[in-house]
Amino acid sequence: MKNNYIITFLSLTLFISCDPIVNEFPDSEEAIFYTADNINSVPAVDTITVMTWNIRFGAARSHWFGDACGDRVILPESEVTANLLAVADYLASVDPDILFLQEIDVESKRTGYVDQVQWLLDNTNFNYGAYASAWQSQFIPSDGLGRMNMGNAVLSKWEITDATRHQLSLRGDQDALTQLFYLRRNILETKIDMDGTTFYAVNTHATAFATDDTKQKHIQEFKDVLDRIEGEGVSFIAGGDLNSLPVGSDSIDYCLEDICSDETFHPEGYDLNVFDTGDNPSHKEGSWFAGDDFEVLRILYETYSPAVDTVLYQANEAQYFTHTPEYDNLDGFNRKLDYLWTNENWVTGSDITHWDAAALSDHLPVSARWEVGQ
Amino acid sequence: MKKLLILGFLFSLVSAQHLSQNWSEGTAYVLPQGRWEVGLFQPLKFGYSPSTEITVHPLVMFIMPNASIKHVWRRQSNATWSSVHSAYYPTPLLNMVAKEGTGGLVSPEFEFPAAILLYNEVRVSRPINDKVLMTGKTGLGLGKAFGDLDERTTIDFPLIYQRLSPLYNGAYLRIGADFVISIAKKWELHLDDDLFLMANKDATIGFEHKGLLVWKKSDRFRATVGYKVVFGQYPFGNQWNLMPPFIPLLPIWVPLFDFQWGW
Repeated sequence: MKNNYIITFLSLTLFISCDPIVNEFPDSEEAIFYTADNINSVPAVDTITVMTWNIRFGAARSHWFGDACGDRVILPESEVTANLLAVADYLASVDPDILFLQEIDVESKRTGYVDQVQWLLDNTNFNYGAYASAWQSQFIPSDGLGRMNMGNAVLSKWEITDATRHQLSLRGDQDALTQLFYLRRNILETKIDMDGTTFYAVNTHATAFATDDTKQKHIQEFKDVLDRIEGEGVSFIAGGDLNSLPVGSDSIDYCLEDICSDETFHPEGYDLNVFDTGDNPSHKEGSWFAGDDFEVLRILYETYSPAVDTVLYQANEAQYFTHTPEYDNLDGFNRKLDYLWTNENWVTGSDITHWDAAALSDHLPVSARWEVGQ
Repeated sequence: MKKLLILGFLFSLVSAQHLSQNWSEGTAYVLPQGRWEVGLFQPLKFGYSPSTEITVHPLVMFIMPNASIKHVWRRQSNATWSSVHSAYYPTPLLNMVAKEGTGGLVSPEFEFPAAILLYNEVRVSRPINDKVLMTGKTGLGLGKAFGDLDERTTIDFPLIYQRLSPLYNGAYLRIGADFVISIAKKWELHLDDDLFLMANKDATIGFEHKGLLVWKKSDRFRATVGYKVVFGQYPFGNQWNLMPPFIPLLPIWVPLFDFQWGW
């Protein structure tokens, strides 16, 4: 009889639900819903302000090791919440109705385990949120990163009735072990009910560092989701950090602008259009937009309405830059990576690239007024 | 008188069995004097005297100097009492894993000061019947860092977080029980449960349950296979883990296993 008890106990302990070390995601699954501590009812309106912002997990312009030639990895919680407070203050000044967030942490050691989605909901005018993780691991045994949960979020003043996480293609240029602990980027598709008016809000963050055709796949997969919504005859707003340049950009190679002190690129006789990987890569990952990535966004420009069209952009590129590799220079923005799209109409001239938020991230927020579709 | 001498001799044999025993892990018993034991993943043990056993982890000795001593203090007819005292100097190992790139468990922006971990435990082993040996244990873990130790250097991972917690918060209390269950001539089941009560601000509780199936080929070799379930409170919240964890790159879950040799 005693042995039976023991066997039963053993069986129970074995079947206790334990989370995997690394979270791998299905092709499509429900995203995670959030609500603010206090819900403030917001009436339906004819035009809404939509914003996209890569908030760099609340690290502001810190010299983080992963993207700023820096040496910082684990930020103190106090620094993170101070940065988030500055983000919240800025959001209060702009007062967007729908917000696409990229690089937002919900349970990461590097940011003091602050659930930034909940924190921003509780400290802004938004009422509802949805989150889709792009990097979820109980422990990343590299560079002291430890526990990681970073992803995309949609914040809304109106109720999010559906939220789906669509898995994007994994990078094809990594070994199996690196890929196991690496990002699994996604498209976060949400359905919003504004007092009976339903529309989709779609957010994504495409690959930055892939050297193969992963970026093309991501843009195509993003467009596939938008095409499906368009096929349903429903309006959408979409956006995110696409890590791609606008069609017609003057420069497509930022290797030397982004170079760290211990790096060398562009060896003698290098080919601008060929990414020669290896021990001495010809280009810097994430800084090279030539080859197959050249004008990868053309399929979106040709199908949907951007908040900033190519005519406007090409007339004054610098006005629309949204990303900087210079972490000590608030004026160092030198490329546009962040976009808003719709299958309806933006209010003409309503787009803003928010240069006054330069101190809060290495990306500037972009906003525009959207004529609510039916 | 002759009967008394025989009884006394027999009693001493029984007592001696309860004092020292091959494969003494997890019990209050110590190895027989002069016996050595080591495993792939288990430390090197030596029966120093009839009542004292010494343990070291030789593979990590140069990066984490360590030693442990177990001493039997009291023998009763139905129970054996011992204490275990361990000391670790984890600073070189921790600074080794505070590195850039793969293997960096702690951010290289931090440096660990000189630090010491001490663990003291009282154990009592008592046969419940001829097939089950129970060991109760209560221990106190103490830690001291001799310099600034940033709280962001915690390794928030099962087994490690609990054992290093005294470095950050001074102490933990560990209460547990081990069961050795004979299930066949050469087969045993080992069950080990430990509750950690840590002096942390919010993450205060840890619980570990280990189950091992043991095949004792002889006094010279045994093999073990099993699992460990860990519940822990961490800075991010609560979490259950099955150890070893499933590694997606492998086709199946690989259990805990070990091969141990004695001589």
